[in-house]
Amino acid sequence: MGAYIEGRDVNLTFRPPSRAPVPALRHFDIEVNEGEFLSIVGPSGCGKSTFLNVLLGLLTPDSGNLSVDGKHITGPGTDRAMVFQEFGLLPWRTVQGNVELGLELKGMAAAERHDISGRLIRMVGLAGFETHYPHELSGGMKQRVGLARALATDPDVLLMDEPFAALDAQTRDLMQVELLRIWQETRKTVLFVTHQIDEAIYLSDRVMVMTRRPGQAKRMFAVDLPRPRDYEMRVTREFNDLKLEIWNALKDEIVV
Amino acid sequence: MADIAADIPVPRASFVARHRRALLGLLAVVVFLAAWQAAFLVVPFNPLFITKPSLMLAGLLDMLATGELVDALGASAIPFVLGLAAAAVIGVAVGIVMGWRMRVGYALDPLLTVFYASPLVALAPLVVVFFGVGTGAKTMIVFLLAVFPFIFNAFAGTRAVDRLLIDVVRSLGGAEKDLYVKVIIPSVLPYIVAAARIAVGRALIGVLVGEFFAASEGIGYAIARFGDLFALDRMFACILVIMAIAVALTEGIRWAERAAFPWRIGQ
Amino acid sequence: MSDIEALDSGIAAADRADAAPARGLWRRYEPAILGTGSIVLLLAAWEALPRLVTLSAGTKLFFTTPSRVVGTLWDMFATGEIWPPLGVSAGAFALGLGIAIVVALPLGVLLGRSATLSALLDPFITAFNATPRLVFLPLVMLWFGLGLWSKVVIVFIGALFPLLINTYEGVRNADRLLINVVRSFGADEWAIARLVILPNALPYIVVGLRLAIGRAILGVVVAEFFGSAEGLGVVMVRAASSYHVDVVFAGLIVFAALSLVMTAMVKLVEDRLQRWRPQHANG
Repeated sequence: MGAYIEGRDVNLTFRPPSRAPVPALRHFDIEVNEGEFLSIVGPSGCGKSTFLNVLLGLLTPDSGNLSVDGKHITGPGTDRAMVFQEFGLLPWRTVQGNVELGLELKGMAAAERHDISGRLIRMVGLAGFETHYPHELSGGMKQRVGLARALATDPDVLLMDEPFAALDAQTRDLMQVELLRIWQETRKTVLFVTHQIDEAIYLSDRVMVMTRRPGQAKRMFAVDLPRPRDYEMRVTREFNDLKLEIWNALKDEIVV
Repeated sequence: MADIAADIPVPRASFVARHRRALLGLLAVVVFLAAWQAAFLVVPFNPLFITKPSLMLAGLLDMLATGELVDALGASAIPFVLGLAAAAVIGVAVGIVMGWRMRVGYALDPLLTVFYASPLVALAPLVVVFFGVGTGAKTMIVFLLAVFPFIFNAFAGTRAVDRLLIDVVRSLGGAEKDLYVKVIIPSVLPYIVAAARIAVGRALIGVLVGEFFAASEGIGYAIARFGDLFALDRMFACILVIMAIAVALTEGIRWAERAAFPWRIGQ
Repeated sequence: MSDIEALDSGIAAADRADAAPARGLWRRYEPAILGTGSIVLLLAAWEALPRLVTLSAGTKLFFTTPSRVVGTLWDMFATGEIWPPLGVSAGAFALGLGIAIVVALPLGVLLGRSATLSALLDPFITAFNATPRLVFLPLVMLWFGLGLWSKVVIVFIGALFPLLINTYEGVRNADRLLINVVRSFGADEWAIARLVILPNALPYIVVGLRLAIGRAILGVVVAEFFGSAEGLGVVMVRAASSYHVDVVFAGLIVFAALSLVMTAMVKLVEDRLQRWRPQHANG
């Protein structure tokens, strides 16, 4: 097939040491095109975050094929980077220190690192906060640092695991706009996991709905709205029709 | 969509897996004792220097039979319990007053911190000289060592009472009595129990210090005496008894804390 | 007035009675003034007591006053007679604490990383931690005699456990999320330890160090009371039995001062290392 990111029949079951095994992914298939923004929505526990972690290389599937740009995934690599829901910033490092984390691990020299981190910190709108510590930042600011850090190593694929879930609604809306702005500049391939259908449609080219655990791909929806996306699009007829369709596909999977 | 039940069996984790930690611990202790006992098959055994688990057990059983052990423990228990009880009552009272009345807290806090930080054990010789050898001195030493955790924890607990909760109870029509019963005491109680945990350890030290110094009875005295007599099997047996008591007390209180105050995280 | 209003105004009145008059200077320094004030008051009362009240012959034998204690303390330093015993005590303290640090830190890291190892050692650590090490003193003296080494062993046992347990907690407590984050950027085990585990454990280790210092000093005092030929503690015991109470207090002051000074130094280091923490966070 040759899609940029390709997953075929991915299976993964968690086996915690003193409890019963938990199947997370079963026969999971996915295809993502280069430069595409794809959102995955699904009920809680359906395995969407698990899949991102598999793609990131932190988890190994029990079976199945998974490749990025034709290369099989065997572990973490600089071609993929993640933005985490709980930010995951090292609290003992400044903003700059955090952004440069991946570059340090690559063995890059200090001057070059400062160059890149400086540029990215400006790009995400945090100029002037380079020497601040995470505890001095708001949630939105912390997530911008997370984004800058993920972009620093210039990955081909950006993975985002419910990155705005920990933010309040207003900040969340603003961050969505910011994310699109930054994405337009860099045009990475993005896999975005979320609970919110609004968010998924607003941001993406396509939206995938997953079944409940153990997760499988249920349906794929194309988002035909023009770019650059506009906040006002969220109140249009087409937006809300699509939202209803996706909701209908999703609601049967939700277990209260 | 395939049926989950059909091809993914969900067995319960085995007994061993669930209790892994405890079983490993038990294994370690058993192996340790066995190795200790067996070591003397290769290493010469000098009874003046070391003892074996088998001899320890024999000594322990013997002491139980003669009632020696119970007598010794009883003699130690009196100053322990008395001193601890006095420390709890006085310590908590002082702590609560300090916490409730800001000025008293300001005044006493530095003074008490200095006391707490000093090795008060150093005053033990003085106490013994003053009170003479016996239960009185031991009780005093236990009290001096055990009172501070109660004071400081009661102080902190009272200060930490959530004003919001007081407002809530007041707004629901609570009287002063209700404030105490429904908010203050439940808030402070966990701190006091935690203090008890610490104080118990310090009280044990107090008893031992008192008995090592100049006593004629008690478990600490027994250990010292057995040491002088080179009766290592009984000495070790007594040490183990104290270890068991210490662990039982501290872990017991810890368990009670968790059971009674499940809403407390940390501390 | 309803009950609530009455309560409200009652409590408000109590609060106002407690609150300082609205003069900035007083309010700022009130805690310090009250604190030092009470200490001064206590010392003054103690000093004045023998002059105000006639003590029985027995009590007079071992009553002393702050002025006498200070005088004795001064003498001990001026004549230099305090240095040899203090040196002996300090040496045992340093040696015991040093060995404890060298053993506790790597072991703590190892235990934090390996659940199996910590499960195996758990019963021993719990048992020894709960037990007052004083109980081992006769045994230690039997094995090591009356000299330096029995003191060192007692200090070591006392200092080991807070350090070990705190290091272990600090390592175990490392945020799994952060480990995953760092691993996703390509960190190997060493890098994970350097970037996440050690910085996270450091505040815990420092707290453990503070506790260990206190316990180490207690260890020296106690070991010297019962089973030693030299040291400041020995001086104190001899003084007690010959009713030189002022020497006993002087010795206590020296030990307490040492404890406070070292704890303060550790706090300084701790504060410097913790600039990244939100205020009021405590390990």
